[in-house]
Amino acid sequence: MMNRLLHLENLNVKDTHNHELVKGVSLDLYEHEFVGIVGESGSGKTLSVKAALHLLPNDLGVTFEDSEVLGKSIIDLSDHEKRRLIGSGIGFVPQNTVAFLHPMIKIKHQIGDAFIYHTKANKKEALQKAEELLVKVGIKEPKRVLHSYPVQLSGGMKQRVNIAMALMTDPKVIIADEPTTALDTVVQKQVMQLFNDLYTNDGVSILFISHDLKIVKRFCNRIYVMHEGKVVESGYTSEVFADPTHSYTKKLLRLIPSLKSGRTRRLG
Amino acid sequence: MLNFIVKRLFSGLVVLFFISLVTFIVLMWIPGDPALLSLGTDATPEKLAELRESMGLNLPWYEQYYQWLTGFLVGNLGNSYVFGEDVFTLLVQRLPVTISLAVLSMAIAIPIAIVIGVLSAIYKEQWIDYIARSVMQLGDAMPQFWLALVFLVFFSAGLGWFPVAGFTPVEEGFFASLHSILLPSIVLAIGQIGPLIRIIRSSMLSSLEQDYMLMTSVNGFTKFRSIGKYALRGAIIAPLTIIAMQLAGILGGAVLVESIFALPGLGRLLLMAVEQRDLILLQGIVIFVTGTVVVVNMVTDILYQIVNPMIRFGGSHE
Ligand SMILES: Nc1ncnc2c1ncn2[C@@H]1O[C@H](COP(=O)(O)OP(=O)(O)OP(=O)(O)O)[C@@H](O)[C@H]1O
Ligand SMILES: [Mg+2]
Repeated sequence: MMNRLLHLENLNVKDTHNHELVKGVSLDLYEHEFVGIVGESGSGKTLSVKAALHLLPNDLGVTFEDSEVLGKSIIDLSDHEKRRLIGSGIGFVPQNTVAFLHPMIKIKHQIGDAFIYHTKANKKEALQKAEELLVKVGIKEPKRVLHSYPVQLSGGMKQRVNIAMALMTDPKVIIADEPTTALDTVVQKQVMQLFNDLYTNDGVSILFISHDLKIVKRFCNRIYVMHEGKVVESGYTSEVFADPTHSYTKKLLRLIPSLKSGRTRRLG
Repeated sequence: MLNFIVKRLFSGLVVLFFISLVTFIVLMWIPGDPALLSLGTDATPEKLAELRESMGLNLPWYEQYYQWLTGFLVGNLGNSYVFGEDVFTLLVQRLPVTISLAVLSMAIAIPIAIVIGVLSAIYKEQWIDYIARSVMQLGDAMPQFWLALVFLVFFSAGLGWFPVAGFTPVEEGFFASLHSILLPSIVLAIGQIGPLIRIIRSSMLSSLEQDYMLMTSVNGFTKFRSIGKYALRGAIIAPLTIIAMQLAGILGGAVLVESIFALPGLGRLLLMAVEQRDLILLQGIVIFVTGTVVVVNMVTDILYQIVNPMIRFGGSHE
């Protein structure tokens, strides 16, 4: 059995009006896996992965039967251990919203923070590493970006900074929530290639949320299909795509005819 | 930026002009004769007429205002009826008292408000927050003149910890001077602290809810670090602007506190000018005080642009 890096069992999330947002979701991510989560908007994808990292706000009612991060049961960990484990072991690329980067702090003063904090590296080393990673995510002028405030960068640039930031600590697991939506197709390919390289060459495991079934089919070896707060189908990508059992999955796949006819290898 | 400064300066001048005009008109309308007030009731009618003539009181109001305005434009604020002295000299004499009061009260109010505001945001709905909210409400509800009187009676007259009245200039020793204005400054500070805590608490709360705080959890920072580096920085803008706006309130409070504690500052000068209908002196003080408020607000607005990268670079998206 391969190492289980993320484990979440029977997650339920309710909002303040006791309305069920996530209903009985279980998720796993094993070592050497590239797992996709697909599902329409509002189906609970973001809530589920945030719950796996214990990032949900306190006003939401969150319950689960079991939750493991990097092989450790999260309930048994002290605050300090939890912070260290997640902070250095997991890279999280948030879904593209406006303010994951601090608007009042230059990129160079925030991108390396976790790296410095967890590895005791100095600022110079952090900047050097940040610069390399920024180039890797397709930024041509990393120095300019480092010296900028977030407001000086476009949405796509910010998203790439977020990706680079998630990679700073050389995490074993990357959780990426629709990391390519704000990017044009060229950069999108570049970023997916980067994730794939990390997965194949560096042994990084990836949990990947996407709307884009083509990308999911191409890169993920296992998928979860979510619908209205539930996981309605899961399994190896090839099997799910070849023989969807749930009606929602069937509908989803029917929307993209080219997938069924096998002309999906155009990407990349 | 230059464009902004010029615009800001212009609007400031317009405000000053209107305020000086309104003060002038209102004071002209209040009954009472400055010449009579300055000579006393036993003055002869001839003397009165003579003085009125020399003070220009026989001219229509707009000519009096025009004279004042042209004088002001060449830097001459005119002579006080009551003191017979140059208004500018009078202002400069009184200024140190009021400035010391304003600075000291801010120096007391701001750090306390920051500590209370930040803690109450971090520990929202917990006992620190409840205490903070009580402090806010108490500060708001307490009439300053009442507080000033209570302090005076209790700490000065009763316990004898502070002088009952008067100001010790800095030349006679820094701490002695500080001591002489500490009590009135505390009164002023209590008046300021409610709004300050409120704005610090609310901008801190909103900063704590921002997405960048989620990233500090992902990155596994301690609470201390994520608040110290990220939350505080996100909460800095609104309080900065409020602090500048409070200057007007402080100057207002100073009038009151100075008269109760018998401090020879601008506030007391202002009261005297009103009582004695010393139009020229009053006009000088009003212009000076509003001018200060306008300039300070302008400087803050400019600083605000410089401090806030979202405004400074806002136009330069790719
Ligand atoms: N903090 C919150 N409080 C209350 N409701 C929330 C909160 N966060 C999300 N929701 C609701 O929960 C549901 C699921 O949200 P979630 O963000 O997980 O969807 P998603 O699958 O990620 O969708 P998308 O593809 O649009 O990102 C949505 O209806 C959303 O409005
Ligand atoms: Mg989402």
